[in-house]
Amino acid sequence: MRIVHYVNQFFAGMGGEDSAGTGPELRDGATGPGRKLASLLGDEHEIIATAICGDDYAAGHPEFAADLVVQARQQGAEMVMAGPSFTSGRYGMACARIAAAASEAGLPALASMHPDNPGLGEAAGTTVVESGLTARQMKDSLERFAAAAGKIASGEELTAQDGRIGPVARTNRMAQSNAAERAVALVLTRLGGDTEASEIPLPDFDQVTPAGPVADVTDALIALVTEGGFVPAGNPDRLESARATKWVRHSLEGLDSAESGSFESVHGGFSTQWANADPNRILPLDIARELEREGAIGRLHGEYLGTTGNGTTVADARRFGMEWAAELRQQNIQAVILTAT
Amino acid sequence: MQAEAEAGLTRIVHEVRGIDLGERTSFSAGHLTVGEEDALDLVRGPAFAEVRLGCTSPGDSVRIVGVLDAVQPCSKGPGGGGVFPGLLGPAMPVGRGSTHVLRGAAVVAAGFLPRAQEAIIDMSGPAAPLSPLSATHNLVVEFTKADDATWEDVDAALRRGLVKLAAHLAEAALDAEPDAIEELAAPTQSTSNGKPRVAVLTNLQTQGKFKDVFVYGRSLSGGLPTVISPNELDDGAVVSGQFGHPALKNPTYLHQTHPVVAALRASDDLELAALVLCPEPVDQANKELVSAHAARLCKELGVDAAILSKEGGGNADADVTLKMDRLEEEGIAAVGILAEMAGRDGTGPPLVVPPTKATAMISTGNYDHRMTLPATERALGRERIALLDQPSTDEIELPVAAIYCAQSTLGWGLLTCAETV
Repeated sequence: MRIVHYVNQFFAGMGGEDSAGTGPELRDGATGPGRKLASLLGDEHEIIATAICGDDYAAGHPEFAADLVVQARQQGAEMVMAGPSFTSGRYGMACARIAAAASEAGLPALASMHPDNPGLGEAAGTTVVESGLTARQMKDSLERFAAAAGKIASGEELTAQDGRIGPVARTNRMAQSNAAERAVALVLTRLGGDTEASEIPLPDFDQVTPAGPVADVTDALIALVTEGGFVPAGNPDRLESARATKWVRHSLEGLDSAESGSFESVHGGFSTQWANADPNRILPLDIARELEREGAIGRLHGEYLGTTGNGTTVADARRFGMEWAAELRQQNIQAVILTAT
Repeated sequence: MQAEAEAGLTRIVHEVRGIDLGERTSFSAGHLTVGEEDALDLVRGPAFAEVRLGCTSPGDSVRIVGVLDAVQPCSKGPGGGGVFPGLLGPAMPVGRGSTHVLRGAAVVAAGFLPRAQEAIIDMSGPAAPLSPLSATHNLVVEFTKADDATWEDVDAALRRGLVKLAAHLAEAALDAEPDAIEELAAPTQSTSNGKPRVAVLTNLQTQGKFKDVFVYGRSLSGGLPTVISPNELDDGAVVSGQFGHPALKNPTYLHQTHPVVAALRASDDLELAALVLCPEPVDQANKELVSAHAARLCKELGVDAAILSKEGGGNADADVTLKMDRLEEEGIAAVGILAEMAGRDGTGPPLVVPPTKATAMISTGNYDHRMTLPATERALGRERIALLDQPSTDEIELPVAAIYCAQSTLGWGLLTCAETV
């Protein structure tokens, strides 16, 4: 099969974080780990091109994936492989998005990452195989990746034995008895000594280590971000009041305060009466400007990022977090004030 | 023994098999006729420019849009005294003596209130099995706000109007031959029968105006968990004023007919020991305080296990799972009933705040699962669905989250969720 292989800017040899804003491109032949992967794939398959994108760019521009898949198709790609991305979150998300975009376009596709990679949550509708924790396990990871690709190329489904990982869909259905009766039955099971029985598996949440303190806040570029449903009056982006699937960004340039009538909150989880009377209560722009004038902070970033945190799925919230982090890093923000409601 | 028998409640059940509007309220051979003018007079007041009534029964091609609260008709005698204490009757303990209930009927309010997320009931079609109010003969109250009234006035007037109507309708059955008489024993502290004792922990949302629940007419906001007899629920001790999260809503109707209480009353193996009502504070420190306090109360009550329910979205997961953990630490087996929020494709993490020690959970299904509901002939409540910007009678596509009580963790429903095989 003719394969297009995706790697990030680092594995393409273009540099680390300083190059993470690089846009998408397609390069002929195999690059970086793709060379070893090509030899493991054997003579039946060929890496005809390498798709590349910077991690920050990919996190902030989800459409990069579909664009690269279109280009790959034009080059005659019959299959797309992405990674291995180990535990690197933005790279993992990019690999998942590329593989998902290829699957959606009808191409066989496969991504490789560690099961703890937060990008795994983005891999719905495509196939992922397990990689090691870090690039030190590159050799083993590539061997498993190549073997899995061979199976996919021959039309087989991957199983856990092949190292398949990824989100398992849970679907609604009707039970035989109502939830109260099932709870009573579960009490009896539990009192009988069974501590495993449950209808809901415990989700495995990652722990985030907070960043270190800012060395000199009087010199720092600070951004305001919020999950308080904070939008320009009239909600031009139609940000949802609950179960948000997107986030918005708007300029704060030239504004000294978030005035009533200019901004409002569309959050569905609390009474917005007091937020709308003085929107600074949600996004503290007035105080932040005061601190900026006094020199207590270096400078306030020229726009805010915001969403609604009300009934939001953890998967969406995690995606917003990764996209925000990439966006803020590209803007050289040293710290954010995230107002939660 | 005698004292115990007197502490119980006799439930006199009248099955409702049909409903319509007429000149005078009456109940005969299972048919409930609602005297339209008398009923309207019970709701009318300065908060409303207009009040309207409609009836609908299971199987009708009817969609009720903007459902607020629903109440089961009940009465302890003429005049409404004794039911819905603190709201209709005096704020004094209830749950003893006898109570007439119209089983299979409900008084439903539908329309706009601030912060009310639009809730849908379809009386037929694929969403009908997902709402307990699709299976009842409903008197639907629609309203238009008076220009000089506040929405808070409207909310309070609706709540009073609904319980007055509920008492009024049940009064029509006071002299009717009942379909069943059910004796509900009061929980005792006795462990003599050897059955494991189970507490029912019911979290009530306390998030301010339009998101509050009333116990004897008062919010539990700012308070600590409290123990009442489950029999007090049958007399309307808990009345809902919470209009967020339609699928997760626990209306007055479901407190009156509390499915976990009912399942424990029916159990041959377990003893219903206590009902513990808990506020759902909005901040973490108070969630932890209320959870620890609830677990201590259960320890004092000498229970072996507890079944927990919540009301509200993601943050309310913590009100269940923190309590589950604290109960397990006290040596009490904890089973939580929770709804999943796993995203449209069902692949996201199902819970926002999972327990760290406890494990036993019942699922009422994935909130984000989408459904297509066919067009209906008639709509009640609102003419348009604001959420979708479509006429209420259209074919619509929406998440289970919008279907009234579809995932209520008081546990009335069959909906659950499992891995796709």
